Amino acid sequence: MLDAFSRKAVSADSSGAFIGGGELASLKSFISDGNKRLDAVNAISGNSACIVSDAVAGICCENTGLTAPNGGVYTNRKMAACLRDGEIVLRYVSYALLAGDASVLQDRCLNGLRETYAALGVPTGSASRAVAIMKAAASALITNTNSGVKKAALTQGDCASLSAEAGSYFDMVISAIS
Amino acid sequence: MKSVITTVVGAADSASRFPSSSDMESVQGSIQRAAARLEAAEKLASGYDAIAQRAVDAVYAQYPNGATGRQPRKCATEGKEKCKRDFVHYLRLINYCLVTGGTGPLDELAINGQKEVYKALSIDAGTYVAGFSQMRNDGCSPRDMSPQALTAYNTLLDYVINSLG
Repeated sequence: MLDAFSRKAVSADSSGAFIGGGELASLKSFISDGNKRLDAVNAISGNSACIVSDAVAGICCENTGLTAPNGGVYTNRKMAACLRDGEIVLRYVSYALLAGDASVLQDRCLNGLRETYAALGVPTGSASRAVAIMKAAASALITNTNSGVKKAALTQGDCASLSAEAGSYFDMVISAIS
Repeated sequence: MKSVITTVVGAADSASRFPSSSDMESVQGSIQRAAARLEAAEKLASGYDAIAQRAVDAVYAQYPNGATGRQPRKCATEGKEKCKRDFVHYLRLINYCLVTGGTGPLDELAINGQKEVYKALSIDAGTYVAGFSQMRNDGCSPRDMSPQALTAYNTLLDYVINSLG
């Protein structure tokens, strides 16, 4: 498992170079935006149950066949498994966002997930759609542009790059399973 | 590679929970100290050549005939070049450690197995200790870097010296 800092060390070691100048500049911005990053992780972890259940409810509304007999989440057992998987994916995305590197998500969550889902007969289109809904919800929560009571009482800052970074981790999940 | 953030994430993952507020505090603490570490890394990246050269000169001043006295320095030029290459190698790993905030790069890429290698090659670890001790006393604040950065750098030099003891 790597983070933004050790990623630089690993890539510099492959060429035997010192880490200086340009590489350090991106780490310095990681440090100066450290509080924003922690707020972003907090926004995801604090609203995790809400994000996951909204996403799963969303795919069921969009595709009523899912809850019909022989559908992807027909029976409470399958629905519970779906909610559990949504939470697992969101948890690893929050780890990746905290570390500033996707290695934990790739190694511990996405590696072999496509094969597992194929073996279990999980409809990947619906699963990808659920991840896409989670991406939209996470983006709104990170930039604090969500509506309603969940809006955090924070000083409004520019979190566009963090929101884009989180979005790229969700996109990795989507491309890994579809 | 071990750092504060990967340790926190690993612990959260083994409990299968989202990052908690105490995890955030750990990461925040690491980030606060990171500015000094990166400053030391930056200074080291630009000044490593001179630092290594001074260490080589100190080693050869202290042991003109090798630490054990049984290796006549017939090819002193080549020996000095190899000596400097090794010091630069250690300084590069110290640079990585300063960036990652842990001793992982040094442990994984140098310290594991170093005693066995130096024994097999009949190199006295004492010569390295002489060079690193010179580096340890070489750094000066605020001439070279800020006090906090120098502390982080010296801590890693001490770590290497102790690993050679």
